[in-house]
Amino acid sequence: MKRNTFYLLAGIVALIEVGIFWLSVKVEEPILIQVAFILGVFLIYMARRRVEDRIEDERTAMITQKAALRTLEVFWVVFFAISLGSAVVAFSRPLGLRPPHPGPPGTAAPDMLEFPVIGNFAILQMALLCLMIFLYVGFRMYYARKYGDWDTDEEQD
Amino acid sequence: MKNRIKVYRAMHDLTQEGLANELGVTRQTILAIEKGKYDPSLELAFKIARFFGVTIEDIFLYGDTAEQK
Repeated sequence: MKRNTFYLLAGIVALIEVGIFWLSVKVEEPILIQVAFILGVFLIYMARRRVEDRIEDERTAMITQKAALRTLEVFWVVFFAISLGSAVVAFSRPLGLRPPHPGPPGTAAPDMLEFPVIGNFAILQMALLCLMIFLYVGFRMYYARKYGDWDTDEEQD
Repeated sequence: MKNRIKVYRAMHDLTQEGLANELGVTRQTILAIEKGKYDPSLELAFKIARFFGVTIEDIFLYGDTAEQK
């Protein structure tokens, strides 16, 4: 498989994923997008292995490793800090070990964690994952530059 | 670490692309090694030396050796 064919396939898979996400929201079935996402990633990994003109040597492997390690080093601090905030919100309410004290008749108990709040955490987590991707791309570019990926010499003319 | 890959390449009339193909690495890796931006692994260093039919010390010059030569 040519590299351009792989990129085309990845684009098509991404578009299908967006469609399935929309469908999943429409029919209120989260499992639909979850399964589709895992299958999509699996498909892309399998396709990537079949790309013929992709040369991966020790230098490119080292760049990838270093970028991944630095991303993890930064990301876990941000992720842990935000998770600590989430834990404070969660622990400031009943933990669900026993039913919360009922509120006034006809109203929800005032100290329960509302569902939209959980939804907001999900969106925050997705934003964090996007941050992780940006961090990785940034570090990847930094190390690629450091180890001469974009260097030119007289042979390239 | 300094090296004399460029010299040996010239002696064998090889381009960076040609050498990279022979060794199974990218042209950018050969370029990075030549410019001293990347030190190859021991395995790749041996491969390079064997390809040119010389010892590692003939190609890679470490520390004081590099200054003497």
